[in-house]
Amino acid sequence: MTERGFPILSTAGLTVTTAGGRTLLRDVTLQIPAGRVTALNGPSGVGKTTLLKCLNRLIDLTPSVRVTGEVRFAGDDVRGGGIDPDDLRRRIGTVFQQPVTFPGTIAHNVTFAARKIGLIAKRDEPDAVERCLTAAGLWNETKDRLRDPATILSVGQQQRLAIARVLAGDPEVLLMDEPTSALDTRSTAALEETIYSLKNTKTIVMVTHHLPQARRVADWVACLCPREGAGELVEANECELLFDAPEHPGTVEFLSCCSG
Amino acid sequence: MLTILCTFAALFALAILVAMIAIVVIRGAGGLSWQFLTTDARNAGAAGGIVYHIAGTLLLVLTAAAVAAPLAAGTGIISHFYLPPGRGRRAIERLLHALNGVPSIVFGLFGLAVFVRFLGLQKSWLAGGLVLGMMIVPTVTVAFTEKLRAIPRANIEAAFGLGLSRPHVVTTVILPQSAAGLVTGVLLGIVRAAGETAPILFTAAIFAGATLPRGIVDSPVLALPYHIFVMAQDAFDPAMTRNLWATATVLLGIVMTFSAIALPLRMRLHEEARHD
Amino acid sequence: MSRPRVDTVRLTGAAATAITASALLAVIALLAAQSIPAARQGLLHFVSANDWSYRAATFGAAAMIYGTVVVSAIALLLAAPLSFATAVFLSEICHRRLRMPLKAAIELLAGIPSVVYGLVGVLFLRDLMGAAFERLQWNAWQGDTLLTAGILLAVMIVPTMTTLADDALRSVPARSRDAARALGLTRAESVFSVVVPQARSGLVAAVLLGLGRALGETIAVFLIVGRADNRLPESFAGAMRTLIEPGQTITSKLGGAEPNIAAGDPLHGGAIALLALVLLSLVLLVTLAADRLRTGTFAEEH
Repeated sequence: MTERGFPILSTAGLTVTTAGGRTLLRDVTLQIPAGRVTALNGPSGVGKTTLLKCLNRLIDLTPSVRVTGEVRFAGDDVRGGGIDPDDLRRRIGTVFQQPVTFPGTIAHNVTFAARKIGLIAKRDEPDAVERCLTAAGLWNETKDRLRDPATILSVGQQQRLAIARVLAGDPEVLLMDEPTSALDTRSTAALEETIYSLKNTKTIVMVTHHLPQARRVADWVACLCPREGAGELVEANECELLFDAPEHPGTVEFLSCCSG
Repeated sequence: MLTILCTFAALFALAILVAMIAIVVIRGAGGLSWQFLTTDARNAGAAGGIVYHIAGTLLLVLTAAAVAAPLAAGTGIISHFYLPPGRGRRAIERLLHALNGVPSIVFGLFGLAVFVRFLGLQKSWLAGGLVLGMMIVPTVTVAFTEKLRAIPRANIEAAFGLGLSRPHVVTTVILPQSAAGLVTGVLLGIVRAAGETAPILFTAAIFAGATLPRGIVDSPVLALPYHIFVMAQDAFDPAMTRNLWATATVLLGIVMTFSAIALPLRMRLHEEARHD
Repeated sequence: MSRPRVDTVRLTGAAATAITASALLAVIALLAAQSIPAARQGLLHFVSANDWSYRAATFGAAAMIYGTVVVSAIALLLAAPLSFATAVFLSEICHRRLRMPLKAAIELLAGIPSVVYGLVGVLFLRDLMGAAFERLQWNAWQGDTLLTAGILLAVMIVPTMTTLADDALRSVPARSRDAARALGLTRAESVFSVVVPQARSGLVAAVLLGLGRALGETIAVFLIVGRADNRLPESFAGAMRTLIEPGQTITSKLGGAEPNIAAGDPLHGGAIALLALVLLSLVLLVTLAADRLRTGTFAEEH
């Protein structure tokens, strides 16, 4: 178990190119500290989602893309021989921008994957459902309707359901790709609260292009900016240092490319 | 001017096709009765009913479905979920198109050589079912893969994102959400198989003397299309003629019913695929 | 946690795919293997000589190839304009709410079994043609002719061709039509100068697939083509004559008694297999050509 503050995920020289020769990400070297919230910032299209997908090899699902460089999780090379990509994705779970709800009840959705992988025994399912929904901040709103179809939930609730579903796999890291961009203000606040409460036990990497949100929620910020057509890491630092030290050249570039 | 011509053409085309059905139904309705549908044939089809013909046809198409459905599902999942879009997938699709175009008599001759003679099944419902199954695999596969492609990418990505392995994603997301396509495909395949005569000409059907098959070797069956085919060649006895039209009406009824059941799903897939 | 895993889904799927893929190849291989004795006798003779007689052990299939070509050509000539016009009606002219039910009706009609067509041909069309010949005093003494078969085939392939042509026309985006009308073109002009050219490859594919279906149809043709062997015309006038005489196509021969008679006789059986191989090759050629055209049009769907 990686100690809080120490890097649990790291990349070295990560470069992603398409089959047509375009470079999406160039030479990204970055450390993600355990037990903290790291925000990935940058303008639209710079490659934040691509970077996120490299961390747990979800990028493998895109066939026309080439990844070079190293990604390490708890010290092990993510592409190494001993790593099972499916298990990797269980340990580094993903929450997407648009919540996906599978056909079935709310309870069914929560244990959708964990049941299949064999992590939760049938008799332990009700406890697991309660545990995960509570951790996702959804238990009070759904405890009386566990048997209802998940589609009756609002978008904000479905997003928290997606978090509960990922939590059922007992991951160490949560990757979130702009989790609040599809939500209204109230749901956004609820979700940010959930993220805040999860921080103590999980590592969270969150893509957001909304600077104030990064400021509110994150401990660390990594900034990507487009340079010569590809996304590059411009700055990565603790939030206070970054936002309150605007003279730092990396910060200046980042702030200008993000607001420009 | 164009409007007039094309409207007239459309009406003409529809009229001919509807007239065809009308001819059959009008001439055949008189011979229909509960007795006709549930009793055995007598006098080589000049009298009696067609119950064993219906049974034989049902046996043949169900066998064909049992053969084609797993093949179609497997082929569809491999070509559209395991293989990336590209040469492999296109090659399989091309093969399926080609297989779909093979004349049914050629399937019949293949069945004759391989199932009837080489495998020693002799004329048997199994030989006919296998041949019909071969024939409808493309139909079933296409309907299945159309539904498969309609599954939102986000669902698949989310399932992978939860750490589910590829085979698990198949069982939790792909199959449940595309099963309807497989059902539609099987229905469409049955529609096709039920009406085919050429594949069962040499492999499964006889004109008279069979009831329910007792084994798999040398167990031919009666079948509706074959019955019509043989009777149509020497239709001089008026009683036979009446039964002939009635049998055709029954066959048409079965085919149209299954077709109509599969149609709403089929039409929806058509339009969905186009608006992507 | 890394567990060794066998992807059983992939294994069974791969097995299924292999079986499906090999089906076509198996058919071709079988026919090729069976036809060797006949091919050895002389392929050129097989396709160009007009002397099919299994009793005399001569197998020249020219008359059957002629019959197949003629019957299919008649079918296409009659069906293509009708199908295209109907497709234009469906996709360009008729009211949007009428389109779906009409298209559904046509798809339903495409499922009519060929034996039912054959029956209508035997008990209805044959007499109709016979009466027509008499009325026109064409000296044809019965209704089982190449022309009759062609007409019946035409009716058979109209639903399929219409659906395919309609798909092709529908694939042209609405903005093309709108742009043409905005320039002041009438509907007819916009259809012919804008829509049809853009749908061209799909339309040709529709024709090819209709042709494929016509080439391979056995049962309906068998019942009303007359099944008379070795009728090959010597002149153009003679060719016109054969239209109203009984004839033989490849499929009507294959659907008859000879495949069973040929059991045990490698030469006869080989001739039958070679005949089937010729038919299959024609159909595959046409189907794959259509496939090429359609993949070009619908490339985005893949």
